[in-house]
Amino acid sequence: MDFVCNFPFFSIILAMFCGILSSVLKGPWAKRLCLFMVTAVLVMSSAVLAYTMKTGTSYTYSMGHFPAPWGNEIRAGVLEALTATGFSVIMLLSLLGGMSHIFTDVEETKTNLFFILVDLLMSSLLALIYTNDLFTAYVFVEINTIAACGLIMIKQDGHGIVAAIRYMVMSLLGSGMFLISLSMLYDITGHLLMEPAKEAVGAIVASGSYEVPLLVVIALMSVGLAIKSGLYPFHSWIPETYGYATPAASAILSSLVSKGYIFLLIKVFYRVLGYENVVSSKVINALFVFGLVGMIVGSVKAIKQTDTRKMIAYSSVAQIGYIYMGIGLGTKAGMAAAVFHIFTHAATKSLLFISAVGLYEVSDGKADYRSLRGSGYRNRAAGIAFAVGALSMVGFPMLSGFISKLMFATAAVQSPHKMVATILGLAVSTILNAIYFLRLVISIYSPAEREYGADMSHQASRKLKVASLLFIIVNLVLGLFSQPIVNAIDAGLSMFV
Amino acid sequence: MEQDFLLLLPIFFPMAAGILTLALAKAKMGRKAKLTVVFGALVLELLFTILCLMRGDVSVTLWQLTDTIRISFHVDTISRIFAGLSVSVWLLVGCFAFSYMSHEEHEERFFGFYLIVEGALTALSFADNMVGFYVFFEVMTFTSLPLVLHEMTKPAIMAGLKYLFYSVAGAFMALFGIFFLAGYGAIGSFQAGGILDASATAGHEGLLLASAFMMIIGFGTKAGMFPMHGWLPTAHPEAPAPASAVLSGVITKMGVLAVIRVVYYVIGPDILRRTWVQTVWMILTLTTIFLGSMMAYKEKIMKKRLAYSTVSQVSYILFGLSLLHPAAFIGAIAHVIFHSLVKNTLFLGAGAIIYKTGKTKVAELRGIGKEMPVTIWCFTLVSITLVGIPPTSGFVSKWYLATGALSSGTGVFSWLGPVILLISALLTAGYLLPVTIHGFFPGADYDYGSLEKREPSALMTVPMILMTMGAVALGMFPGVILNAASAAAELLF
Repeated sequence: MDFVCNFPFFSIILAMFCGILSSVLKGPWAKRLCLFMVTAVLVMSSAVLAYTMKTGTSYTYSMGHFPAPWGNEIRAGVLEALTATGFSVIMLLSLLGGMSHIFTDVEETKTNLFFILVDLLMSSLLALIYTNDLFTAYVFVEINTIAACGLIMIKQDGHGIVAAIRYMVMSLLGSGMFLISLSMLYDITGHLLMEPAKEAVGAIVASGSYEVPLLVVIALMSVGLAIKSGLYPFHSWIPETYGYATPAASAILSSLVSKGYIFLLIKVFYRVLGYENVVSSKVINALFVFGLVGMIVGSVKAIKQTDTRKMIAYSSVAQIGYIYMGIGLGTKAGMAAAVFHIFTHAATKSLLFISAVGLYEVSDGKADYRSLRGSGYRNRAAGIAFAVGALSMVGFPMLSGFISKLMFATAAVQSPHKMVATILGLAVSTILNAIYFLRLVISIYSPAEREYGADMSHQASRKLKVASLLFIIVNLVLGLFSQPIVNAIDAGLSMFV
Repeated sequence: MEQDFLLLLPIFFPMAAGILTLALAKAKMGRKAKLTVVFGALVLELLFTILCLMRGDVSVTLWQLTDTIRISFHVDTISRIFAGLSVSVWLLVGCFAFSYMSHEEHEERFFGFYLIVEGALTALSFADNMVGFYVFFEVMTFTSLPLVLHEMTKPAIMAGLKYLFYSVAGAFMALFGIFFLAGYGAIGSFQAGGILDASATAGHEGLLLASAFMMIIGFGTKAGMFPMHGWLPTAHPEAPAPASAVLSGVITKMGVLAVIRVVYYVIGPDILRRTWVQTVWMILTLTTIFLGSMMAYKEKIMKKRLAYSTVSQVSYILFGLSLLHPAAFIGAIAHVIFHSLVKNTLFLGAGAIIYKTGKTKVAELRGIGKEMPVTIWCFTLVSITLVGIPPTSGFVSKWYLATGALSSGTGVFSWLGPVILLISALLTAGYLLPVTIHGFFPGADYDYGSLEKREPSALMTVPMILMTMGAVALGMFPGVILNAASAAAELLF
């Protein structure tokens, strides 16, 4: 076994130990350690990506000396490595962009706590991506939930605490369903490792026994993870959570945390339940319908918001809908589109949250879109970044959102029964997106209602500008060089089977 | 395919020049020096484009977006007509703007985006496939938006938003048409007569026609076709006069170009002939022609009246295209050029009046011909052209449209079309000529004592005179344009 094969394990454990170590460090040192950890994870994940691309196969890595079907395994293929790389890039940029606000929003004695939570979050996300074991998945789902709750309420104002409680209730409900589904699956198959479990599921389906329990397993698994990732109608926690957390936390939560659960769901579909079983169970149609409804409802609610952050948060509801719609198409092309949209949305939504911060920090900290008038001139980097993000969400060609839409539409054409609904949904939601995003872009470039002092433009932090620029580049890369990424996704999905 | 990278020059040079102009906003340079840069860019762009248009049917691939989609450019007859038209008009209107914009703020922003849009228009004319076309169609929408928003007053912003939403909605309708048809080969290079894979489309005619209809309506938005015409009479008058001129005169024509590409170069006229799509399309265009003229006739504000006139006149072109008949096609192409010259002159004339007198309502223009004789003479001549009185060019294009309609074999529409064209011509006379009549013959009670000459500078009058001469002279010598249009038509039918 090559040395590179250890990297997934190293990155999980590194993130975790950094979290533990940070508990005795002061805020600034915890920050440095956290940034170092994310960078190291980025490097290691890229190495794994290069390695799996070169070998063209995936590998499993057993933890400890218990051979399958007992021990604990992680698995790395192209898709896992690609997701880990993408997530660490977004994590790094979100932290960089929101850095100055972390130190103003969080009490000074608790800044190291913020970074502990980020470290734990990173570790659990990586574990969700790499795990080959359902129970490990559950453990890290819980770690992820707790860390996310901490991130939401670390700002310690009333809104934050309410949002965190709301998030915790919904999220624990989701984890509970996941756990029940897991136990039932263990009950009927006798396995927790993904590969033997899948074999057992295959045998059960072939013999025709346990039809109802298996259906319940699929349904609970889907609904549980759907609640956690905020699919309509389980989205009620999203706007508060993303709207009131500190910007770095909003960016991380919206772009990464919800995506981690979706990734796990896709992995479970392919690696445990068997994709064809999921498709034939019709649960997937429910995901499709809720995805479609979410696309529309999320956008309509976003139009009604005046607070920019809540608007972006509701837009997440719509975008999560896109992803579930892609999964719900029940074809490989649909799944590839959904996975690509995970990246698109992660890159774009964090860009929007971070650049929105840049805009309202030059508008006396007010986030309603009237106060943002003229902020595009006061903070040019953030203005341009926000415009790029908005255009990408609307699907402007050459940006990542366009490629997502193209992939969804192409996938839709291949599944005749869902074609018209998908394309209509895409069209309506695109136009709704255009309404609220472009309204905002025009508003940030309209003349301000009052004069702002000249020092306003200097208040914008340099780091935020750099992060905005890098986010724009990530978006352009996804838009212009999509083919290699799409090929990698295809290769990764084939390795799942 | 041989790569001819020179083709990229007329597309990206104006964009670069535009970005430079935007960057000059803070530079400590005199107004004259900045305008010299813009003027130089406009002239060079004209030269580059002509150079490219004379190189024969060349192509270049800019970017391989995915394995199946590439952004590439190709020059054919239609490209020559549209690119040639847009760059020449752009230079003339630009010269007018040098003088006109002196009473507006943020000139650098105006000229910067003015140049960037020019690049997008050239790219549209040169685009080689639907995806590339769509890309630059969006670029055109977003970069022409600041021209509408220019004054940044509340009505301007509302008009800009309206423009944006209509355009985006239209473009996405078209985009989803492209998505539907992509599977049948619609994203390949444009070819006269259509590129759809006949074996793949067999049995999917319903979907095909629905997609075609969506694309016609979607792209028709830019051309102000009913039912998506609502933005045009709001947005065009809000922009500064030179911008209204090019929005009405040239940018609407890009919607026409899009429809030509979709119908004649992707789907193919034969597939649409005698289907519900053709029928509905004809009904919509005829409705638009009539409705636009009526609204223009009722409208009191000069620039709004001209904008409604655009709604009506661009649908003449679309009606010609909807007949799917060679003579009507030639008439449509000719009308693209003639209407562009006429409408630019009309808007520039209205702009010159606003610039010199501040008058915006038609009723206030009594005696204006005595004050600004050159401007109103140009205005008069192009009005006559638009009505279609021989020997001006409007007559030629309408002649082709009418004869095309009569021999197109479209049943009731073959005579209803010409009838509506005639009614609309009468209405056109009714809404344009009063300006001339009251302008030159203000009546006995007009106070000649207070008359003062207010003729604008040569920078304003010369572009108007040149375009008027073009509009009139092309009616007497239409050979060049008709030959080019028939060459394109021959390949299509």
